[in-house]
Amino acid sequence: MIVGQQKPFDEIWSMVRDFKKVLVYGCNTCVAICHAGGGKEAEILASMLRMKAAQEGVDMQVDSAAIERHCEPEFFEPLDEKVRTYDLVLSPACGVGVNFLADRLAGAIPVYPGINTSFYGGVPEAGFFVELCGGCGNCILHLTGGICPIVRCSKSLMNGPCGGTNNGKCEVSDQTDCAWYLIVERMKKLGTLEKLLEVQPPRDWSTGTHGGPRRVSLEHIRAYEEKEEKNAATEGK
Amino acid sequence: MADVAEATERTPVSTIEKPQDIPAEWQPNVLAFACHYCAFAAADLAGVMRLSYPPNVKIIRLPCTGKLDHIHVLRAFERGIDGVFVAG
Amino acid sequence: MKSGSNLEKVIASGKMAVTAELGPPMSADPHEVVKKAGILKGFCDAANITDCQTAVVRISSIAAAVIALREGLEPVMQMTCRDRNRIAMQADLLGAAALGLKNCLCIAGDHQKFSAAGKLKGHPGAKNVYDVDTCQLVGIMKKMRDEGLQQGGDKLEVAPKFFIGASWTPMGDPMDFRPYNLKKKVDSGADFIQTQGIYDMDLFRSQMEKARNLGLHERTAILAGIIVPKSAMMLKYMDSSVAGVTVPKPLIDRMNKAKEAAGDDKKKMRELQEQEGIKITVELIQQALEIPGIKGVHIQAIEWETAMEPIVKAAGLYPRPTFDA
Repeated sequence: MIVGQQKPFDEIWSMVRDFKKVLVYGCNTCVAICHAGGGKEAEILASMLRMKAAQEGVDMQVDSAAIERHCEPEFFEPLDEKVRTYDLVLSPACGVGVNFLADRLAGAIPVYPGINTSFYGGVPEAGFFVELCGGCGNCILHLTGGICPIVRCSKSLMNGPCGGTNNGKCEVSDQTDCAWYLIVERMKKLGTLEKLLEVQPPRDWSTGTHGGPRRVSLEHIRAYEEKEEKNAATEGK
Repeated sequence: MADVAEATERTPVSTIEKPQDIPAEWQPNVLAFACHYCAFAAADLAGVMRLSYPPNVKIIRLPCTGKLDHIHVLRAFERGIDGVFVAG
Repeated sequence: MKSGSNLEKVIASGKMAVTAELGPPMSADPHEVVKKAGILKGFCDAANITDCQTAVVRISSIAAAVIALREGLEPVMQMTCRDRNRIAMQADLLGAAALGLKNCLCIAGDHQKFSAAGKLKGHPGAKNVYDVDTCQLVGIMKKMRDEGLQQGGDKLEVAPKFFIGASWTPMGDPMDFRPYNLKKKVDSGADFIQTQGIYDMDLFRSQMEKARNLGLHERTAILAGIIVPKSAMMLKYMDSSVAGVTVPKPLIDRMNKAKEAAGDDKKKMRELQEQEGIKITVELIQQALEIPGIKGVHIQAIEWETAMEPIVKAAGLYPRPTFDA
């Protein structure tokens, strides 16, 4: 899932204070799980903004709403018209959601972020989120015992630990496990340590964020959808 | 999907006040959220025993205080309540 | 000869090599480098010029290395993977070779959050690079030198001829993997290895045995790293806080004894500890040089360059060999 954290309230207030009619528009998928931007958090944030506006003597209407997902068009449709009656959408969805809605609104009204999108992570226990994937576009987890050295090693090393491992922890923080320590121990258990002896050559990072914006296009599905639309149009005639 | 639009929450802001000096005779408006099975029963018993408590405390009975959500507390403040008391 | 550097010649001659360390200053003033080079010259075969060590901005390794070279001290330039992508790395290697540098040590580099262990502000908010890691950088340098090719495949008219080094932390976690870590660096093309500071010689001996079993001592020149201890406090700090370094208790006790012998005299306290530190260093050097497969020592007298002369002399490593150009 995508993990995010609500921005500090003062930062949010400084973003929205000059608007008259604000919609806090939550997303009930990932950001609801990390208690950052679901319907519940949107409602709370709207209430806090209303109180802040009153205290500051700012005349502002703040409402809240939420839909199930901010990254696919169909979920937006029922509220589209209503959303456009506001001066500002404050979106506590992830960065994907903010971009997606801003593109959808195409400059009609601004969409501001309510959270800081942090990472792709897991939830090992309630209220605790850890980064586990960097979305690099070229997965090598089969070589590293299912532990990603790209995001779990502070230096994204590909050929083993650096000299900074101390009692199994990373030099960056004694709260952070050394990924390579974990990888070596895991590969020992799996009986595949010899896989680590091969020198990994320099990576092609162009599959990651270094190669420009990325897209995945499933041609067979797109072709099918196009055909369906055509059929529907013909039947309509 | 018709009720999605109704899910949009809007609360009037008129009851929220700007910070001001507190007058000498001022009494806070307190809202008590009480659990049906303990705190509310205690309040009931107090009534039976003819014990009195200040009139500026209003009680809302909940089936369980676990039902209380952040937004209930915030809404109480938005509507002019000065203090919230949760007992359960 | 791969590079024709003095360090390579010493190692090829079969004599024990001695390298030192020169940390460039946080200043645009070259005199500090000139001064340190003057002190170290004659007491080592080459000196490592650190590359923004502890993730703090200093005179760049290449620039300081060129200053040292002009002073007659052979430098080992260092290159971290932290600050450059492969384009900048290769450009700097071409530039360094053009300026006459012949040794290069490849390291991952302290993470930018390190900021001199929090003693300085540093730049913890910097963006790091880590486009390639140490093994990969070693491989790139070897490919440039031996095949005359850039990593991307483009040809180099004149290849940079470096004597390629890498670091090794033999006693870091996970310890049983560390000999293989070394193997990967050697497989990538490391001509020489400088280890992290060693105090626990027994443990190092057993790690060296594993390295020998992999035949690594015949494929690379391993120089044992010795950090000159200055005080009991420094030894305790390194034992508890420096990754991959453990200090046996008897060494700390010896240093404490030296400290206590001074009574309340602060100046004497320092002097006695420094004397003991030099003594300990000389003993460690002698023990290290007896380990089969060791080809020399890398002595780090951090911000205490004047210690090199008495150490090298007492260890019987003086004078250093010279070769006709």
